[in-house]
Amino acid sequence: MSKPSVEKGIQFIKAQIDAPVASFFSSCVHCGLCAEACLFYTETEDPKYTPINKVEPMRRIWEQEYTVLGKLKSALGLSKPIDEATFKEWETLVYDGCTLCGRCSVACPLGNDISGMIRKSREGFAAAGYAPPDLIGATQRAMEIGSPMGVKLPAVKAQIRHLEEDTGLKVTIDQQGAEYMVLLSSMEIMNFPEYLEAIARIMRQAGKTWTIASTAFEATNSGIQIGVSDLAKVIVSRIVDAAESLGVKTVISPECGHAYTAVRWEGPNLIGRPYKFEVKHILEILDEFTKAGLIKTEGMEEARLTYHDPCQIARKGGIVEQPRRLLNKVASNFVEMRDAGAMNWCCSGGGGVSANERAEGLKLKAFKRKKTQLDELQVDTLVTACANCRLTLEEGLEENGMDIPVVGLTEMVADHLVEEERGS
Amino acid sequence: MSKDLKSMEQEHANRNSKTFAEHLEQNGISRRGFLKFCSSMTAALALPAGSADVMAKALAAARRPTVIWLSFQECTGCTESITRSYSPTIENLIFDFISLDYHHTLQVAAGQQAEEAKEHAMKESYGKYLLIVDGSIPTKDGGIYSTIAGRTNLDLLEEAAAGAAAVVAVGTCAAYGGLPMAKPDPTGAVPVSALVKDKPIMNIPGCPPIGLVMTGAIAHFLTFGRLPDMDELGRPKAFYGDSIHDRCYRRTFYDQGLFAKAFDDEGARKGWCLYELGCKGPTTHNACATLKWNDGVSFPIESGHPCLGCSEPNFWDAGSFYEALSVPQGRTGETILKAGAIGVGVGAAAAALNRSNKSAAVEGRETITVEDLKRES
Repeated sequence: MSKPSVEKGIQFIKAQIDAPVASFFSSCVHCGLCAEACLFYTETEDPKYTPINKVEPMRRIWEQEYTVLGKLKSALGLSKPIDEATFKEWETLVYDGCTLCGRCSVACPLGNDISGMIRKSREGFAAAGYAPPDLIGATQRAMEIGSPMGVKLPAVKAQIRHLEEDTGLKVTIDQQGAEYMVLLSSMEIMNFPEYLEAIARIMRQAGKTWTIASTAFEATNSGIQIGVSDLAKVIVSRIVDAAESLGVKTVISPECGHAYTAVRWEGPNLIGRPYKFEVKHILEILDEFTKAGLIKTEGMEEARLTYHDPCQIARKGGIVEQPRRLLNKVASNFVEMRDAGAMNWCCSGGGGVSANERAEGLKLKAFKRKKTQLDELQVDTLVTACANCRLTLEEGLEENGMDIPVVGLTEMVADHLVEEERGS
Repeated sequence: MSKDLKSMEQEHANRNSKTFAEHLEQNGISRRGFLKFCSSMTAALALPAGSADVMAKALAAARRPTVIWLSFQECTGCTESITRSYSPTIENLIFDFISLDYHHTLQVAAGQQAEEAKEHAMKESYGKYLLIVDGSIPTKDGGIYSTIAGRTNLDLLEEAAAGAAAVVAVGTCAAYGGLPMAKPDPTGAVPVSALVKDKPIMNIPGCPPIGLVMTGAIAHFLTFGRLPDMDELGRPKAFYGDSIHDRCYRRTFYDQGLFAKAFDDEGARKGWCLYELGCKGPTTHNACATLKWNDGVSFPIESGHPCLGCSEPNFWDAGSFYEALSVPQGRTGETILKAGAIGVGVGAAAAALNRSNKSAAVEGRETITVEDLKRES
């Protein structure tokens, strides 16, 4: 335990530099294509938002610590030092001006994972004490209360009670040996209770057993957003411990982008071993259920609608076909956005940006990219599969006076569910 | 009939007087799209960043250059690769833009008319046209093994090369002899460079080569009026400077000694290095691993097959495609091997130093708790 400092920040960044990072920095040809891929650059046209520039402190540390020329330059006093001013200047680029959407990594002609390096850089910024206060607060709540929005178990229980009273469905907590363990994001508990009801109805129709863990109902991971692996590990371990002690086969990640990345991709690396259970996104589960004939839908949405691909789910998660198959079952007038799928543009609020109050103005500026995409389509409804995208989109649309409702795909599927009595 | 011919000629003349910028505008490509193309092309050619501007100015004002394309002992695979269109891109439009006055696969005219078109183009742009050749040239028995319109390839090349500003040898056959020159070489096939001695020649080898490399070379020619920088085998350095191995995404497995031993084993499924299955990536210079094929979809190694080394001279006779390279091949002598060994030693020492530097950083780093996040201001 020591106070945050520049030295600590440098050491943490140094520890993050591995062979891939070294090869990325050596192979960058400064072509600038990543700038055009980044919505913070395209909407502000400020070159400081060029993705590769966001990792400039990390590049300097790599050069000074790990290259012969860099060491020589440092010895001759030719290299720019990394100091308080550097951390201060770059803090807003690394946290406020990046949603970790990963579009730059895909656009790089040399295959350099720039957004991965920004994620790694955050480790150093957090250690140096240069993380946004709101993210620190959220992380504190996640560690101490168990949820970044401060949601406690009684709130979840209250929601379950409402749900049981309204629909007559039964939701179990900590049911040993259930097949599925369902995770929720705070936002779904607080803002979108429809999600839980949709799950309950779909699971009953599919005839599957499922449960919610009292110690790990929260799917989000503030440790990943702020960039502190030590804390991210503690948070993800809650889910792993609960899932393994309940003996579930599959953990279902909710409609939340970074939660999915955290539990599915980063989790096993954080705890250093493979899970004893599978992790799937709710869209994968719905697609499996419909393919296996476990659930059927009826009726079609007639409104002209489009689907916003959440970055963590489509670009980083590879879940591109599933939502389309599902949408085509329940919507007759589904149109694709330009750049849909793996190259879709971020909602502008991912990677901790939406939780960071001071980034609001920048976020709304970056939202113009989504606005342009939507203006081209003139849709009545916008469908997505991430609670954070949903909230960001709703705010952006409202700010721009656009009257387009935003709907979660899981709920839309549940709305069209054929519900029949099954012998239990 | 004669009226038709006249209007066709008129149209041809109109097209010839159009600049590239006008041509793009007509095809619905925005100024912005064009500038983006120039920047990415500048990057692909490894030109300094400021050259994008230069290229944009030169290309925008460029008039249609005359290009004559001669196909000799070849399979048309190169033409296929180069004309492959994914979507109407500026790369394709460059091909539409150049005045391809003679290409016997692509042109509409045939027979007498076709040959006349070529002679006309050669006479009109004497000393200025770009000559593109695919296929090798048979020389045995006076070159009788491949003739077009009754004339041998040998004869046709000599005549066309005389008035060319530069010659581009497309494909491994034209660049290094390729398949026709492979043992037992019944036709006495030779590459373009064996016959044309007094003109700048650029080789774009590959069986087939990547379309973008071709576009890059043409864009460079239009911008600067000369061919790009080339290596000792006459290939543009920007695209052939690195080996497939150095740019391979499976390189990390090679470095860790993790190899697929068969096409259906665990290693193959895990995407390990294909070196032991005969991959020629370490001795092959090309841009497949970075530019990839089919609009950046994939390249052979990514699809699970070792590199055949198709852009290197004599690749057909370099032993089995499926036999592992035993020693570093290619343009290396013993001295280079020794120098290499020293280099490896130095590199390993530097790497070891960095490793200890890095592990010190990892070990020295303390665990962070929530209390450690707030800075006192």
